[in-house]
Amino acid sequence: MSDIRHALLRRDPLSAAKEVLYHLDISLGSALQSSSGPTPGLEKSTVDLVEEFIFHVPKDRNIQPKRMSCVQELQLLEIMCSYFQEQSKDSIRQIIFSALFSLQGNKADESRMAMLGKLVSMAIAVCRVPILECASTWLQRTHSAWCVRLAQVLMDDYCTLVPCAFSTLQNICSASPRFCCQLITAVTALYDFSSDELTPPPALLEMLVGWITEDPRLLLLTFINTPLNSSLPLGCLEITPLLGLLRWCVKAPLAYQRGRKLALTNGHGESEKGTAHEELYSKLHLSVLQVFLMLQVHMTEQNLIGRLAVLPVESVATLVEEVSRLCEKLTPLSAANHIQLALDRLAQALQVAMATGALLCAREDLRTLCSRLPHNNLLQLVMSGPVVQPPPHSGAFQPNMYPHIHSGRPSPLSPHSPHQSTLPPHPVLSAHPTHRPITAHTTHPSLSPHAFHPAAMAFPYRPIR
Amino acid sequence: MSAQGDCEFLVKRARELVPQDPYAAKAWLITARTLYPTDFNIQYEMYSIERNAERTASAGRLLYDIFVNFPEQPVVWREIAVITAALRNDSQDKHAQFLKGVFETLPGPVQCKMLLKATEQCFNTLEKAEMLLLLLKRFPESVVQHGVSLGESLLEAETVEDLDTPVNCFRKLFVCDVLPLILNNPEMCLPVSLLYKYMHKAAEFYICYVTKEPSADGQIQGSQEVGGLKSPGRGRSQHVVIDGLSEKSSVVTEPWERLLEMLCVVGSLCDWQGEKGSRSYSELLQRVTELCRYMSAADGEGFSRCCGQIVTCCSLVLFHCAFHYVSAVQPSLFQGHGALSASPWVLLEDLSSVYTDVEVERKHAHKKRKLADGREKTMSSDDEDGLAKGRGRHIVVNNTEMSSWTETLEHFRTARESWDLLHSHQSLETEFAKICSAWKTEMWLWFRIFLTDMIIYQGQYRKSLSSLALMSSLQNQQNQNSLSNSSNLETHRAIIQQASCHYALGEYRMACEKLLEVVAGLTPQNQDAVKSIEEQRKPRSKARKGNDLRLVPCTSKSILPFCLQLMLACFKLRAFTDNRDDLALGHVIVLLQHDWPQGENLFLKAVDKICQQGSFQYENFFNYVTNIDMLEEFAYLRTTEGGRVQLELLPNQGMLIKHHTVTRGITKGVKEDFRLAMERQVSRCGENLFTVLHRFCINEKIILIQSLP
Repeated sequence: MSDIRHALLRRDPLSAAKEVLYHLDISLGSALQSSSGPTPGLEKSTVDLVEEFIFHVPKDRNIQPKRMSCVQELQLLEIMCSYFQEQSKDSIRQIIFSALFSLQGNKADESRMAMLGKLVSMAIAVCRVPILECASTWLQRTHSAWCVRLAQVLMDDYCTLVPCAFSTLQNICSASPRFCCQLITAVTALYDFSSDELTPPPALLEMLVGWITEDPRLLLLTFINTPLNSSLPLGCLEITPLLGLLRWCVKAPLAYQRGRKLALTNGHGESEKGTAHEELYSKLHLSVLQVFLMLQVHMTEQNLIGRLAVLPVESVATLVEEVSRLCEKLTPLSAANHIQLALDRLAQALQVAMATGALLCAREDLRTLCSRLPHNNLLQLVMSGPVVQPPPHSGAFQPNMYPHIHSGRPSPLSPHSPHQSTLPPHPVLSAHPTHRPITAHTTHPSLSPHAFHPAAMAFPYRPIR
Repeated sequence: MSAQGDCEFLVKRARELVPQDPYAAKAWLITARTLYPTDFNIQYEMYSIERNAERTASAGRLLYDIFVNFPEQPVVWREIAVITAALRNDSQDKHAQFLKGVFETLPGPVQCKMLLKATEQCFNTLEKAEMLLLLLKRFPESVVQHGVSLGESLLEAETVEDLDTPVNCFRKLFVCDVLPLILNNPEMCLPVSLLYKYMHKAAEFYICYVTKEPSADGQIQGSQEVGGLKSPGRGRSQHVVIDGLSEKSSVVTEPWERLLEMLCVVGSLCDWQGEKGSRSYSELLQRVTELCRYMSAADGEGFSRCCGQIVTCCSLVLFHCAFHYVSAVQPSLFQGHGALSASPWVLLEDLSSVYTDVEVERKHAHKKRKLADGREKTMSSDDEDGLAKGRGRHIVVNNTEMSSWTETLEHFRTARESWDLLHSHQSLETEFAKICSAWKTEMWLWFRIFLTDMIIYQGQYRKSLSSLALMSSLQNQQNQNSLSNSSNLETHRAIIQQASCHYALGEYRMACEKLLEVVAGLTPQNQDAVKSIEEQRKPRSKARKGNDLRLVPCTSKSILPFCLQLMLACFKLRAFTDNRDDLALGHVIVLLQHDWPQGENLFLKAVDKICQQGSFQYENFFNYVTNIDMLEEFAYLRTTEGGRVQLELLPNQGMLIKHHTVTRGITKGVKEDFRLAMERQVSRCGENLFTVLHRFCINEKIILIQSLP
């Protein structure tokens, strides 16, 4: 190995990097063929080579590695681009990508991220689908902090630096919906309304709403294509962008209200822009609710209802916490409408998520969760649950009976990995141990979402109207 | 707080939000539905939003939900009624199109169920039928179950409502919509008798539709006429509006073609012999004629089996061709007031041989009369003679006046042949009579017109006269109904035909009476205009014999000359008998002026007769004779060279002569009067001869009729 290293050291940085890529391809390719195991491990020496000659981390105190010029770096990116484009084997492509860009928790990670950002940005610009697919897997397996950083790079490139290139990003959706799904999750994690800078740029919002209304199933792509038994690392992004988008929809009225307050003191109102946003958020919110309904169909088909928390209670709790803090900051008089809108949305989302089995939470817990929020009629109704009616017939609304007479476009959602019969505990579930209902519901997997609220638990007070 | 209160609150919030933020409204309703999945109002509100925004797919999806989950809600039924109503009518408006689109998004079984349910809700037979028809059209498999019963219910409705015409909404639906579904469904297995019944119902509808009197308002027709109609069956279909149907759904395009297609389908279902789907009516007749010839040679049983086929096909050919003939001959009958300019045509004896020598003619006429009379008395035995005679007859048409005369005559011929075929065998005749009585064809004026012409053609003049009488009674009925005064020419048409028949029967007095009745209503035309037409005809007229027929436009221009010829023909025989009849001879001379010098020979013959008689008395001479040649000849007759013929041509002259025979000099005064009259007459030479002869007919009507036996 050190022979290779010595040889490489004599070369110019670009050809050395190329050489490492070549070496990587050969060694991993042959390892993949010979080994019968799932994934061949990466040899330490190879990792070192990659770090030294591609990410230029000094390995030897004496030898300062030659850095590439900007042009050389661009050439290297091009080489990588065409390598991934031409590599026909999906598994090799994935392994090489992860060998290059999986974070190792060392000092090479910074340059790794820098290179990755440039590569993905380039792949978007020239529409290299294989790279985008690899990137979407990366976004799934990497800690959300890094994902947010990648999202930040892309947003800087496409929103801030060259806004006119935005349409390129927009068109990516049809090329790699999987990537877009993960990107949405990442950007919702990035823009959390905690400050003006972290308010979603209008163009981004419009693009996302466009994508989602075009085909709401986009939001479920990652979820549906993730095998239930695959273990995801801690701290990775949510499995769907649903919570992130919900956060946007709920916090937007409050945050823009906060922004308006500032704008008013600065002397220029942005009321027109404001209404455009309002409509987009309203549309987005509706889409989120509709996606919950789709999710229910899917989970019912897969017999997952009650076994899998698509919306983790902790995350919801965090959101409720944030909302309640935002509300407190606003003067209730001038912002009453906005607070009510935010709470309406929150209540709707909570109700629909519970009803569709995306949120596994009893109404009792919900009441505790939302106790600090200002009063809202719908929220009250949701917390107390429906007045139990003597069921005339079927009971729960069953959207899945509808025969599909119009087959939509070939759905990337359709083929679920065929291992549902024996259901292992879902990693997401195990990662986030939820409240009490899980055991209760595994015994009644086909029960309607209303079973979450036993009739005995009648809430003492009703909404004020 | 009740569940209902919750639901009302949720729906109210959503409804408030619809105008300003429809997305939020929907979000509310989605939430509401998850809270109260069995509440109808929430889901109906969702549907309403989508419907009002005309979003087809989502509206359809929600309609499906409420249809499946709340089948008993009256609101759902009202909605379905609205949608199915949109499906039934052919409105092109956007909302109706949307509703149709919504229906299309529903899965087949739901559509089927919806239509059936909607049908149950209809109390009106027509609506119910239209609804069921929607079902049958969409789901051919339901035809087997519902097709025949639907058809029968329509036919029954027709009887119950006691409609006086087969062109009614029920029949239209039955024939144009239900029947094709039944006939074209391979799963259906109908008994032959039912197929015949349906076929006849369809035929009656199509024929009556085509021959229906045009509706009263002339504007529509006027605009339709611009399109330049060639075939009368085509294009006119727009005029008829069927009671209970919209103008658009009243339209039946290409009725004759539809009928023929249906006949082919029924033919194949009934396993008709030799029927391979005829492309035209004449082809159909050919096939049936062959079959008939073949079958009559075979056993009787086989014949009766084919009877239905022969009669059905043949009667359709008959009505098809008769219709086309009549629509050419009497266009106003079908084309309404807009077509008044198109005059009727009338089938008459050809009289262009009237100027030929009387000797030949007389023999001929005697024979003809004998034939005609004999035929009337011994119809059956003499029939063949009549038919044989009839078949050979030639019909003269002025082809500059009727452009499509070959077609018209062809239709006339084919119709006659079909008729003959239908009457060539007792069982065929019986079967055909059944159809006729079921359809009440005796009430069809247009068909009576054809029958009359056919009988005239066959030379059965006595029968023609009774047919003409029937025709005028039908005409009167029709005029009473439509209150039109347009029928003047049509009445003329019948009377002239009567005159022509009376003449052919040798009943000259009756003939004259009838034709003078017509002449009274005519206005004399400019002489030159007529001349030119007469001129054109001349070269052809020579080769023909006396037995021909002529198809003449029923206008003053063409009819007045015919009347004059017919009168001449009536008087000619009488004038040239051995007995002296100066009055008849005088009338002949007056009439010979027309078409001069065609009648020159006859005139000379008359002059000869006068010379032989040595005297001639005709007091109207100077009133009506303006022909210079004639005047010259008469002036000459008085001279010594001319034979000193005693001419008493002035009114009361005879009295004078008798009175003054003894005294010389008075005759001189008479001579002077004659000379003056002659001179005055010469100055009248330029007068319009038609005006003179028209006046002759009107003023001398009584004397003319009286002078015939």
